[in-house]
Amino acid sequence: MPEFQFIGKPTDRVDALEKVLGTAKYIDDYSLPGMLVAHTLRSNLPHARILRVDVSAALKIPGVVAVITCEDFMDHGRFGYPIADMFMLAYQRVRYVGDGIASIAAENKAALQLGLDAIQVELEELPGVFNPLTALNASTTIVSEQPWDAPEYPRGNLLTHYVVRKNDPQNELARCPVTLEEDYSTMHQEHAYLETEGALAVPWPGSSGVTVYASCQSPFINRGNLVRTLGLGEDNIRVIQPQVGGAFGGKDDLMYQISGQVAKLALLTDRPVKMILSREESLIASYKRDSMQMHVQLGADANGKLRASQIHATVDSGAYASITPFTAWRSSIHAMGPYRYDACHVDTDVVYTNNGYSGAFRGFGNTEVCFAIEQAMDELALMVKRDPIDLRLQNCLRPGDTTPHGQLLGDDVSLAECLEQVRKLSDWKRKHAAYTRQAAEPLTPGEFRRGIGVAAVFHGMSLGAEGVDFAVGTLTVNSDYTLTLTSGLTDYGTGSRTAFTLIAAETLGLNPQRFNMPRPDTDLSHDSGPTVASRATVLGGNATHVTAQRLASLLNKSAADLLGCREDEIVRHGELYIGPKEEPATFELVVEHAHKIGLTLTSRGRWSSPEIHWSMETGQGKPYFAYHFGAQVAEVLVDTGTGKVDVTGFWAVHNTGTVIFPQGACGQLYGGIAQGLGYALMERVDYDNGYIQATNFDEYLIPTALDVPDIVGAFVEKPFAAGPFGAKNLGEPGVVPTAPAILNAITNATGRRIRSLPASLERVLLGKDLRKEGSSTACKLGLN
Amino acid sequence: MKLQFNLNGCHVEIEAPADTSLLSVLRDYLGLTGTKEGCGVGECGTCSVLLDGRLVNSCLTLAAQASGRQVVTIEGMSLPDGSPNDLQQAFIQYGAVQCGFCTPGMVLAGEALLASNSQPTRLEIREAIAGNLCRCTGYQQIVDAIQSTAQKRQEVNPNA
Ligand code: FES
Ligand code: FES
Repeated sequence: MPEFQFIGKPTDRVDALEKVLGTAKYIDDYSLPGMLVAHTLRSNLPHARILRVDVSAALKIPGVVAVITCEDFMDHGRFGYPIADMFMLAYQRVRYVGDGIASIAAENKAALQLGLDAIQVELEELPGVFNPLTALNASTTIVSEQPWDAPEYPRGNLLTHYVVRKNDPQNELARCPVTLEEDYSTMHQEHAYLETEGALAVPWPGSSGVTVYASCQSPFINRGNLVRTLGLGEDNIRVIQPQVGGAFGGKDDLMYQISGQVAKLALLTDRPVKMILSREESLIASYKRDSMQMHVQLGADANGKLRASQIHATVDSGAYASITPFTAWRSSIHAMGPYRYDACHVDTDVVYTNNGYSGAFRGFGNTEVCFAIEQAMDELALMVKRDPIDLRLQNCLRPGDTTPHGQLLGDDVSLAECLEQVRKLSDWKRKHAAYTRQAAEPLTPGEFRRGIGVAAVFHGMSLGAEGVDFAVGTLTVNSDYTLTLTSGLTDYGTGSRTAFTLIAAETLGLNPQRFNMPRPDTDLSHDSGPTVASRATVLGGNATHVTAQRLASLLNKSAADLLGCREDEIVRHGELYIGPKEEPATFELVVEHAHKIGLTLTSRGRWSSPEIHWSMETGQGKPYFAYHFGAQVAEVLVDTGTGKVDVTGFWAVHNTGTVIFPQGACGQLYGGIAQGLGYALMERVDYDNGYIQATNFDEYLIPTALDVPDIVGAFVEKPFAAGPFGAKNLGEPGVVPTAPAILNAITNATGRRIRSLPASLERVLLGKDLRKEGSSTACKLGLN
Repeated sequence: MKLQFNLNGCHVEIEAPADTSLLSVLRDYLGLTGTKEGCGVGECGTCSVLLDGRLVNSCLTLAAQASGRQVVTIEGMSLPDGSPNDLQQAFIQYGAVQCGFCTPGMVLAGEALLASNSQPTRLEIREAIAGNLCRCTGYQQIVDAIQSTAQKRQEVNPNA
């Protein structure tokens, strides 16, 4: 591997200083003179026709300055990508508990509350659709309408359907000596970013335009929606991203609505307007990771060689499409796991219901299917009496293999290395043998038992064949010899700004301290599509690399002219430019000389991902240009008296390619695993007839420092040819295999298999639910 | 009602309704926005401050309860020249900061622990920050940062 100056070396995160000092500005930390506060009145019914919204009484309340509904937006504020089925405020119907109906701006919180109470809303309740498995029945109510510009969506409550097709698995299954057929189900998961959603809109003089500070992931998409729904030109809207207190995929659609609401209120009142959601409102109104019901059939030879898989999945998209068509497509592509099959079919139905709504969440559809397939692999290992890691090694994709989608893989595939390494690191052989022996012995009630479990992951990079995939970066040399770097991909805590800075510094041979990276701003950076689906490192990193190379070549020309030599004779030492004869020149001298000879020291670079293609009809193609691979092992201690599970050890080996920002890479891995641990054991978003049952952190439990063990992480740094300096993405895959690794460990400890998430006490103890479902009154709307 | 307390070493006096939380006084009345609100019900710890040296959730503390006492917020942690103290520096160095929303509370939780236990084990550190949620880091690098600071302080001042 080549030696780098900056890449892979310990570095401080670019914005860490202001964050430890407490001076970093998040959206609620902004306050302006004359600023109004805003709030949105939300539906308390899961499905209803809006008969009347009368805001006249509210407008008479002293201190209430403006009230808006969908009528205040162009086309009722309709937006959404890839399917425009949402509105800035509900139009004609509300489709989930928490759907926004009207927004108020007021002088203070007291007036705001009085105004909210004075809005008169008449709703006619409609039957709701709550069971995704019956959503497609002919007699079921229809949740969504057909958007006029997307006649292919939806068909009844079927939002969309995806297939993967290789040969005929039923044929193969009939001939396999070993077959497995099981159902697995996952539950919605809340992102639980510690900062709730919020936005501040500042009108321009005479309401000629508006600047929106929004805690969101994709400022350009936000601006696009505002342009369409406010009826202003692109030049009249600016979206700036302040520090974002976590997102994990969760700060898109709801944030776009909030941005639209405050922008409209600011334009109407000609005053700054801020809206911040309470935790309760955030939990009720925000979208979640989708829930999935999966039916899995596997067939293998007697020795465990996989032959066939047939998988059917139903994805609950809830009331709106959001980006679920993309996440569900990713689910289909990854449903069979990173293994070789002679035959494989996947069918995924994405359905509308009135259970909140689903959207992007780290893992992006892969987390759900990995939960099923990686447990099924362990069940198969038991049936053929093989060690779970051996079984995976026997079947896993390797360089030069062809995936069930028909994609020929390159030499970057390193799942086998990840599995081998994690086996060694976790002392797997000894522990697995010991715990398996113990599990065979009769259980004394109350006994503590240990178990160990593994899970593997592959994760396609970037958006894949469905999305636009490019990123743009710019670089400017400033008059004080610092450099300004921009990227349209945002950093909402993931550390991508630091990674981009290191890539630019490495390419230019300049100290990272010289660079500054302003926060994303639609006026200062270039549209780079959504910041979702593990796009940042490879796309944004490559765009930065291309941009930096262009600037480097300008600087080299200047240096060659200054030093009286050819460009290719220049040697770099630290920041110095050294030619064959003259004294070495500093960066400052080279910049001054460039100005003298008239060169403009700015550059702009764009990088598009290599060609990919997918046929929705044949279910074959090249869905992603490459994949990330990884393997995780969990060790658990189960209290068989109470069902309590402690994760006592965790090992993770991921094929990241070159690691650019080591502390950041480890942090992404540990953070992903902690979210996966919560998903496995405690995080519960129950929708009871459309009402979410947990509305704050006292009911929605996420892991604390005591729940997460010390994690041993390692990276397989085989350089990835198409990545910047050989890097692959890392932000998402860490969360994907964690839950199945933990559930496999629980089975290893207790002999009981839990096929539904989360593995709560009673499920571990009894293998079934005791919990009586909650009631709609448990769902507090949190408007006060 | 009139409230007075010592905030980060300075005497402050303000007028606020009796039911105002300490968090609201800090953020809305005094403009100190380093203290965050993540839940408002005492579950997340982003609003942590030190009250007479003890870690409390300022969202559940009435400002009146702070009357006449010492309050330390994240704004009071840095060195006199505005640079980060050793614990804050360790948070940067160990990568303990991602989105940063939990960071002020975590730093204060770390300080509160180190004030009463100069050589905590990793488990003791985890217990001390268990009331402070972090959704980004998985906690490991935060534990590393607090542990290394304890060790360094011990080297500098072995009798602490
Ligand atoms: S805001 Fe005080 S504990 Fe969450
Ligand atoms: S760094 Fe984001 S919550 Fe801790």
